[in-house]
Amino acid sequence: MSVIAHADRIQAPPGAAVRRRKSFLRRRSTVAFFMALPLILIVALLVLYPASYAVYLSTLNKTMERFVGFGNFLFLFKRDSFWMVVEQSVIFAVTAVLFKAVIGLVVAHFVHNLPAKGQRKWRGMLLVPWVIPPAMSTLAWLWLFDPSYSAFNWIFAHFGIDPVPWLGNPYWARFAVILVNVWVGAPFFMIMYLAALKSVPDQLYEAAEIDGANWFQKLWYVTLPMMRNIISITVLFSLIVTFANFDIVRVLTNGGPLDQTQVFATWAFRLGIESNDIPLGASVSLFMFPVLAFAAIFILRDINRRGNEA
Amino acid sequence: MRELQSGRRRFMTIAAGLAAAPYVRTSRAAGTLNIGVWDHWVPGANAVFTGLCNEWAAREKVELKIDFITTQGNKLMLTIASEAQAGAGHDVLAMPTFWATGHERHLEPVDDVMATLIKQNGKVVDVVEYLGRQDGRWLAVPATPGSQIKPPCGRIDLFKKHVGLDLTKMYPAGHAPDASLADRWTWDTFATAAEKCRQAGHPFGLGLGQTTDSTDWVGALFAAYGAELVDAKGEIRVRTDAVREVLEFAKRLAHALAPDVSAWDDASNNKWLISGKGALIMNPPSAWAVAKRDAPKVAEQLWTFPSPKGPKGRVQPGLPFYWGIWKFSRNKAAAKSLLTYLSLRPQVEKLVNGSGGFDIPGFSGLRDFGIWSREGPPKGTLYNYPPRSDQIVAIAAAPAPTAIANQIYAQGTLPKMVARYAFGGESLARTLDRTESELEGMMRT
Amino acid sequence: MTTTAQTYAGAAPSARGGSITRNRRKVLILSYVFLVLFVIFFLTPPLYMFITSLKTSAEISAEVSPWWVFSPTLANYIQLLTSPVYLTFFRNSILVSTFVVAITMVVSILAAFSLARMKFWGSATLATGVFLTYLIPDTLLFIPMFKTFAFLHDLTGIEFINHWWVLVIIYPTLTIPFCTWIMIGYFSSIPKELDEAALIDGASYMQLLTKIFVPVALPGIIAAAIFAFTVSWAQFLYPLAFTTSTDQLVLPVGIVTTLIKGDVFNWGQIMTGALLGAAPPLILYAFLMDYYIAGLTAGATKG
Repeated sequence: MSVIAHADRIQAPPGAAVRRRKSFLRRRSTVAFFMALPLILIVALLVLYPASYAVYLSTLNKTMERFVGFGNFLFLFKRDSFWMVVEQSVIFAVTAVLFKAVIGLVVAHFVHNLPAKGQRKWRGMLLVPWVIPPAMSTLAWLWLFDPSYSAFNWIFAHFGIDPVPWLGNPYWARFAVILVNVWVGAPFFMIMYLAALKSVPDQLYEAAEIDGANWFQKLWYVTLPMMRNIISITVLFSLIVTFANFDIVRVLTNGGPLDQTQVFATWAFRLGIESNDIPLGASVSLFMFPVLAFAAIFILRDINRRGNEA
Repeated sequence: MRELQSGRRRFMTIAAGLAAAPYVRTSRAAGTLNIGVWDHWVPGANAVFTGLCNEWAAREKVELKIDFITTQGNKLMLTIASEAQAGAGHDVLAMPTFWATGHERHLEPVDDVMATLIKQNGKVVDVVEYLGRQDGRWLAVPATPGSQIKPPCGRIDLFKKHVGLDLTKMYPAGHAPDASLADRWTWDTFATAAEKCRQAGHPFGLGLGQTTDSTDWVGALFAAYGAELVDAKGEIRVRTDAVREVLEFAKRLAHALAPDVSAWDDASNNKWLISGKGALIMNPPSAWAVAKRDAPKVAEQLWTFPSPKGPKGRVQPGLPFYWGIWKFSRNKAAAKSLLTYLSLRPQVEKLVNGSGGFDIPGFSGLRDFGIWSREGPPKGTLYNYPPRSDQIVAIAAAPAPTAIANQIYAQGTLPKMVARYAFGGESLARTLDRTESELEGMMRT
Repeated sequence: MTTTAQTYAGAAPSARGGSITRNRRKVLILSYVFLVLFVIFFLTPPLYMFITSLKTSAEISAEVSPWWVFSPTLANYIQLLTSPVYLTFFRNSILVSTFVVAITMVVSILAAFSLARMKFWGSATLATGVFLTYLIPDTLLFIPMFKTFAFLHDLTGIEFINHWWVLVIIYPTLTIPFCTWIMIGYFSSIPKELDEAALIDGASYMQLLTKIFVPVALPGIIAAAIFAFTVSWAQFLYPLAFTTSTDQLVLPVGIVTTLIKGDVFNWGQIMTGALLGAAPPLILYAFLMDYYIAGLTAGATKG
């Protein structure tokens, strides 16, 4: 950078417009760099540095006295329980994100249909789950699912339905974990999609209507293409956050019954912290990084390209 | 009993001498001390602890800071792991069960403190030694707050009505148990009683989830049958007759338990009992204490008594707590002085009283306090809470090397095994295979 | 640019000519029916929290309808609101979130302006890459961070661990990437002619940013700030790992660690604490909702 700063100070000869333009660009890029510097520093010091330390941790043996390279990963690949966790994490994250996106889209449409002055209170009510800290709201769900005191089962009992083992049966437990995740996350999708819907110019719909498009065609050919960017970015963001989810599973099922709701974060915690094998826990946490990074770069590049076209 | 009493008298004189002169004073502690201790669930217990600490701090002129750290949300575990990795934090930290041996390399040995304490307080209980001592060195001082036993706590009325057994006669308060009844109190009887209570609509509430309450009772059951998954040498011993036998029994018992037990956490059994649905759970007296507050009618019918026995004895699940001193501590002398002070009889009695009898000290000479006969209603409900006579206190997965036992314990291998075999429709061979493979994964060094 | 926001807010499809009125009414009724269903789904847990918060612990354990309060009591609310410990959690949460929002906004507005409007070597990669920081989960980062802070402690003598303000240092890693991304979107939607005109008039980049971009992008800034506030208010794992003393805890951790004792859940108080804890963000949303939508509309749809 010092070279650029230096070059900056040497005044360009008067009249040489090209040179001046060049120095202007240089000065601009210096200022730009300094403006982005706080961001770069925070990411470097508080994310990249600790992350590389975690990578280093993942290459140690259990007692952290010996370097084992990829040994921990090779060890994991041979364990059935690890592949079970991979499978469950994928099921959990993909299903949850899918439902969040669909519910978000549907609800956003319904809210968008309402007259402007009535929208406010509906938006407000629908946003509540996203606003309550999940660590708290999950406790409420836990209490609703409780084997002895389940308020849902109490209602069911009045209709003669057998009590549902919400967290007791592996399939119900998976359902419950996904349900709560969708409940927490769907409002965020709803609000983002609502924002996106509002930015679709009415003329497009009117044009489509004149062409005789039905509601589905309007959705498919007008709304969704216009919302493409926002859908990709929310899905990506949510996929990443859901894959890393810890609180909800931890509070609701703690991975059980029989480890059938164990996901990356809870499994990493169980191995790393509870079983006192930090390198192995770090390896589990790191495993999903390359997969998600690949997906993310793919999606983000697509978005950037479109952004430049616009 | 007589022996204990004379022991106590002898102790009193020693303690009196101690207060006047040696250890504590000579170390001339001073400076600052930061301790992180278990946040006790019993209201008022923390205040008693703080009071004792402040007394010590005033006398030793140490600037003392106490943080109460809960095990809820794994707060304490996170703190221990982070401080060990960072090499910074508190001077003294409370460590439950396997956490002291798990951090052997980071802990200051406390053999000198333990020598003093054993001289004062009597022998250390086996399980406390197993989890506190490694390679001949004491790694941490057994802590009174948080150390607990998880014996059965049953409903007097329901047992009388549906099982035909008077709990208060079998294990009465204030004197020795009814020999013939206690002799017949076996796991087999237990399963029969469970079945009867289930038919009467009051199933036993024993979890088969993956939290400690589940692991603890299954661990005691396995130990009572002599079933070790991994032996003391670290060899996998899954395919033994003892394991097969205990699994067959556990399957029978599991079907007599409350529905949903494979999803239970540490709070589920308490709620099951307090709601009036359950006839028995295995837990420290926290469930009874809450019932006393929220459901007094249920509380009046609760009785705590020892575990049933199996072919290899009467095993009680026990969870000791420790206070460890980090190697990075800058005031080890003060730390040792404080821990010694807190573990002497007068202080221990105050702590136990402050916990309403919840805490069970790790020293054999400190289990005769009056509090356990006093608590009620029903009066004497906790008399049989501290282990006596023929009982063995053990932690699940013992006697495997602690590094392996820690994983068996934390990953809920034992209750998972039972739940799989009992509810998962797996054959015995398949369950043993899966468990063996899981155990092989724990042999990492 | 404020017009953008106004146009969007006013563009609700209310009256669009009489010929399709009947059709619209049908759609409207359908919308209401489904919205009611979704509202029931979304609001059941908070409602249940509210019901439980009005109960005594004896009633919670009793075999009566969980959906009705037979002997309502405000005891839980009074206990919490008069408890100095709980009020400390509240204060810490507010302090942490306020500082985090401030830091986040300064850092991400500067960065977004630089990445959206001025280019430098690697800026395109950075704009994309900043989002990738979310890929590294907090479960992985907290131990190395702990170590970093211990190292800094040895170096500077400042104790980072077990102070609420350490969260002010950590949380921005969770808020800045998303906020920067929203702001890049918003800034990109501002016509280039605007800054060219200002630069020709002799304005510096800083002036350009503070005098033109910030006022114009206010809805986007508010949307990003609300997002940052929500995220930092809800954090759980970091405060759990980095703060220990009761006077340093923030709300979610404080409630979970002080109201739950051992295996005993104090449901009435937990639910009360959770509801009270959800109040500040709820109020914030109630007042700033329109800005939030408007800000996201412009910021998120461009990219």
